Amino acid sequence: MANLRNSTESYGIIAQAFHWLVAMLVLVQLGIGLYAANLPVSLARLQWLSHHKSLGLAILALVLLRLGWRELNPPPELPGSMPHWERRAALVTHRLFYLLLILAPLAGWLYASAAGLSVNWFGLFQVPDLISKDRELAELFKALHIGLVALLASLVAVHVGAALRHGLLLRDGVMHRMLPWKPRRND
Amino acid sequence: MLRFLVVLFVSAALPAAADECYSVDPAGGSVSFELRQAGSPFRGVFRRFGGELCVAQGRVARIDVWLEPASVETGLPEIDAALKAKEFFDVGNHPRIAFASASVRAQSVRQVARGTLDIKGKRRNVDVPFRLDESGGKSVVSGSFTLDRLDYGIGTGEWSDTRWLGAEVKVDFSAGLSRR
Repeated sequence: MANLRNSTESYGIIAQAFHWLVAMLVLVQLGIGLYAANLPVSLARLQWLSHHKSLGLAILALVLLRLGWRELNPPPELPGSMPHWERRAALVTHRLFYLLLILAPLAGWLYASAAGLSVNWFGLFQVPDLISKDRELAELFKALHIGLVALLASLVAVHVGAALRHGLLLRDGVMHRMLPWKPRRND
Repeated sequence: MLRFLVVLFVSAALPAAADECYSVDPAGGSVSFELRQAGSPFRGVFRRFGGELCVAQGRVARIDVWLEPASVETGLPEIDAALKAKEFFDVGNHPRIAFASASVRAQSVRQVARGTLDIKGKRRNVDVPFRLDESGGKSVVSGSFTLDRLDYGIGTGEWSDTRWLGAEVKVDFSAGLSRR
């Protein structure tokens, strides 16, 4: 358990906190979204979708803050032992991750705006609509939101798979850069 | 001669005493509502409505209007279907919402129709402020009022939770009048 800032070997506490908080919220968010979208029109659906919208905007804000922190505090280098294509793949998937973590909630916000179901953030304040009510645009942004979320979920699977490969098979310390505890290096 | 004069007087007075009635023209008009869902405003409209407004001695004397809740449109087909069901408007058993004035009082350009609003068989006395304007050679009646949806059983059962679905509903209306 080390620094607030990233070192050359490991992510710092702040980057780790952002990572695990966003990861946990995204999983909760996926669960709520899938559950609520399949409910019939009911008070429960109204409540869950309302939480889903507030939580989605919270994730969007967290991701923007996280990107800001990442700008100020570059991530540790990947080990030189990794093949070039793997480092490229890691770079591309991480960029795509950030892109989807911004676009998926944004598409959801556009969908809610176009549907005329504006967001009141956890009952605390009214969130402005991005566009005015339009039934066709609502359908379009709904499809876009679902498509982006499906991509994001696939990316989570790839990311977890790759992290476990580094942690359990390669044991090259890449996964442990994002963990608050460090294993004893077995080399 | 006297009899002739009496007949003349009575027949001349009659048209003024009789109501001059106009029909409410739904084309170009609108009846919309707004309430809060999960703390945010939510709006919808009713497409089919009508009625009549009668004038006597230069004053609005009577207003009788109706709308069909089955013509509700929120832009969300699932919500429209829910609004037509039993918990909300129950359009199968109550195809019409009606307002009939008992009295109309004028306060300069604004007037107030006091009367009975009948929704789902529940009648409540309401005051509906409105005004008449000339627009393009046509008279237009417009106004707005608020009602408590729970007074009329709009949104029963779980939907009576006003934290998630506000009790107060604002209704706005505007429609041209055609001479009948």
